[in-house]
Amino acid sequence: MSESDTSPKIQTTIETDDDDGRTAPLDARDTVIETWDLDVYYGDEHALDGVSMEIREHDVTALIGPSGCGKSTFLRCINRMNDMIDVCRVEGDVEFDGKNVYDDDVDPVALRRKIGIVFQKPNPFPKSIRDNVAYGLKIQGYDGDIDARVEESLKRAALYEEVKDQLDSSGLDLSGGQQQRLCIARAIAPDPEVILMDEPTSALDPVAASKIEDLIDDLAEEYTVIIVTHNMQQAARISDKTAVFLTGGRLVEYDDTTKIFENPEHDRVEDYITGKFG
Amino acid sequence: MATQETTGDQLGRDAALRLQQLKGRLFEVALVAATLVGIVSLLALFAQIGSDAFQPESASATWFLVYLGTLVAPTAAFTLYARRRPAVRETNALAFAAVFGGLLLSAVTYVVVESLSPYDVFIYAAFAAVPPAVVVAYDRTTDGWAYTGPAIPASILVGIAAAALLYDVVRGPIGIAAGWIMYFGLVTVPAALLIGTLTASRRGRRSGIVVGGLVAGGGLAVAAASIVAGTNASLLVVFFSLFAVPTGYVLWRSVRTDPAGRVGVAGPFVLLGGALLGAAVVSQFGIQNPDTFLTPNLLLQSWDGLRAGNAGVYPQIVGSIVIVGFMAVLAFPVGIGAAVYLEEYAPDTGIRGRLATLLEINISNLAGVPSVVYGLLGLALFRRTLGLGTGVVISAAGTLGLLILPIVIVSTQEALRSVPDALRQGSYGMGASRWQTLREVVLPEAIPGTLTGTILALARAIGETAPLVIIAVATTKYSPPSGLFGSATALPLQIFAAASNAKPEFRHGVVPAAAVVLLILMLLMNATAIVIRNKYARET
Repeated sequence: MSESDTSPKIQTTIETDDDDGRTAPLDARDTVIETWDLDVYYGDEHALDGVSMEIREHDVTALIGPSGCGKSTFLRCINRMNDMIDVCRVEGDVEFDGKNVYDDDVDPVALRRKIGIVFQKPNPFPKSIRDNVAYGLKIQGYDGDIDARVEESLKRAALYEEVKDQLDSSGLDLSGGQQQRLCIARAIAPDPEVILMDEPTSALDPVAASKIEDLIDDLAEEYTVIIVTHNMQQAARISDKTAVFLTGGRLVEYDDTTKIFENPEHDRVEDYITGKFG
Repeated sequence: MATQETTGDQLGRDAALRLQQLKGRLFEVALVAATLVGIVSLLALFAQIGSDAFQPESASATWFLVYLGTLVAPTAAFTLYARRRPAVRETNALAFAAVFGGLLLSAVTYVVVESLSPYDVFIYAAFAAVPPAVVVAYDRTTDGWAYTGPAIPASILVGIAAAALLYDVVRGPIGIAAGWIMYFGLVTVPAALLIGTLTASRRGRRSGIVVGGLVAGGGLAVAAASIVAGTNASLLVVFFSLFAVPTGYVLWRSVRTDPAGRVGVAGPFVLLGGALLGAAVVSQFGIQNPDTFLTPNLLLQSWDGLRAGNAGVYPQIVGSIVIVGFMAVLAFPVGIGAAVYLEEYAPDTGIRGRLATLLEINISNLAGVPSVVYGLLGLALFRRTLGLGTGVVISAAGTLGLLILPIVIVSTQEALRSVPDALRQGSYGMGASRWQTLREVVLPEAIPGTLTGTILALARAIGETAPLVIIAVATTKYSPPSGLFGSATALPLQIFAAASNAKPEFRHGVVPAAAVVLLILMLLMNATAIVIRNKYARET
């Protein structure tokens, strides 16, 4: 991980149209993920159509768009979760730190250890809280102090205080919001570089969702976060960059979040954001 | 205002609604009737068999009163007492599992090992145990050696192969030792290691060694005492190691750690004590026992086709246990492996995908093939092609194994399919390989469902008669099978043969009694599997 920028992430909302030091240091950041003409087919269905975008380190990038526009597909292409679908076919390049992840010499298992993922529905394993968080460490043969890493990850996922007395009870006994934070703790425990989030708050109540949003803010200090969301306010609140996908799997607009929400280039993007369709 | 309906009229019950309700009632009554017909006829059947086997009308009324007082009333009172106290109930269940599980395990271990020869079993067990122990020791002393997992099963196979090769060399010198020493090595040493390890994990290494040493020393003391007293040292060593020690350990832990539920420990002893007390009272006062066919003779003697009182099915019971046990060893790994491949590895598309689909359809159909046909398959495969002896254990186990394979595969597939895909995705998303995902997430979740299928398969296998007849398993044999290549016999075959005996006391006494034994065997197997399944289901 390059240390080009360790300053705290700047809170970006529509209201704070800040101009102080925003452009210069951010542009100096490295690109961590870059796609070139990415096409994805499920059988005969064309799910992604020529998507090219660059995602910079320590940004929170939101992917928004109507249902079925390919944003989840795009997310799952980055760490090759789509490999598990037999009929899925990927064309084009996805570069992670300059290496095409679809090259023959890339092992998807190794790739996913660098790019973690959090799913829409919390899916803790039917194991204890400790074993859930330690799962990634265990399968990667981590030989350091596992308990310390578990504690640290739970603290970073803002869950430690709530569960510190019940680390040996099942992860399934937690509430939905806690389960999702457990899944985030599980994802960050092996210290990946990028965290993908596929609508992480859509199955949660507003209070739990806002906790996750706060958490995403904190996570962006150390990780690159790419988040799919259906919630436009959420995208506006937490992301630095926003990519708008529209029907047909096309990336229509990709820019700073403030720009997208205040002055989008395309009329259709404006229609979508203002709720005229979608 | 006759034409205007009030709200009361609208919400009331009109003719159409009443008709609807009547139809619903009739349907419900029909369903209840169907259920009752099934259950009542089954109960009647079991009552008939039980009555024939047990002959309750031949006992005096006092006999029933004695057992009512010593056995039924105290057990019922204890059950009622425990029902309202969850802690007591839980301890009671644990104590029951420990006491009767221990009794069952020691009895089965002793009769099976005794029939297969303790020396042979010891040789194979020792050869199979040493290589994995060496592998584990090597793993402990070496850092970053990643092959421990696969090396353990491989080393066990190597050990068994070595035992087969060196058998002739080793058998002579080992044979000098007394029989009970074999049992000491087979059951006391593992029991001591297990209890020692458990204690060590709770209370430190020192107490672990002390407790393990106590168990081993206790085994030696029991053997010495029984040699002095002239009783069967092997049997007592087995009962000490597999019944007394684990039961003592479980009960002692319950009493120490669970003050609210410690009364529950008494549960099994109320039952056992009541039975013993009843028997003592009956013999003391010369009360008329029922003229039952369920006698110790039936369980412990071999067959006598002339006098019903002397007829026993001990060789058949042991034969059934050995055949079904070995069948499980053969069929479960293969069946579970096939199910895991079809469910987790086989692709959905392409030529291999179509092949897998074809296989799955075939397997589902195989589950319904009549068992006689499997008998023909077993005859062709084991007798004709492989040239194994007529009616030997391995052919019988193999034939029954083929018979239950589809059941095991289908139920294991069902269990794997019920594991939510989100868990697999979560595991893959963490950078786990397919094998890691299977071992850490999918298989533990699927174990309870898999066990349900294996329960069904075991129950089916132990009652199968036709395929055993076809592969010419002996009906009446006067000794249990002496090994995997020794000739076998099984309980359902003897029941089948005795049902055509000329004497009515065989047809209406020994046959139902043997059927009761077969049912009890099946229920015990099912109960074991259910206990294991519930344990897993609770843990996950």
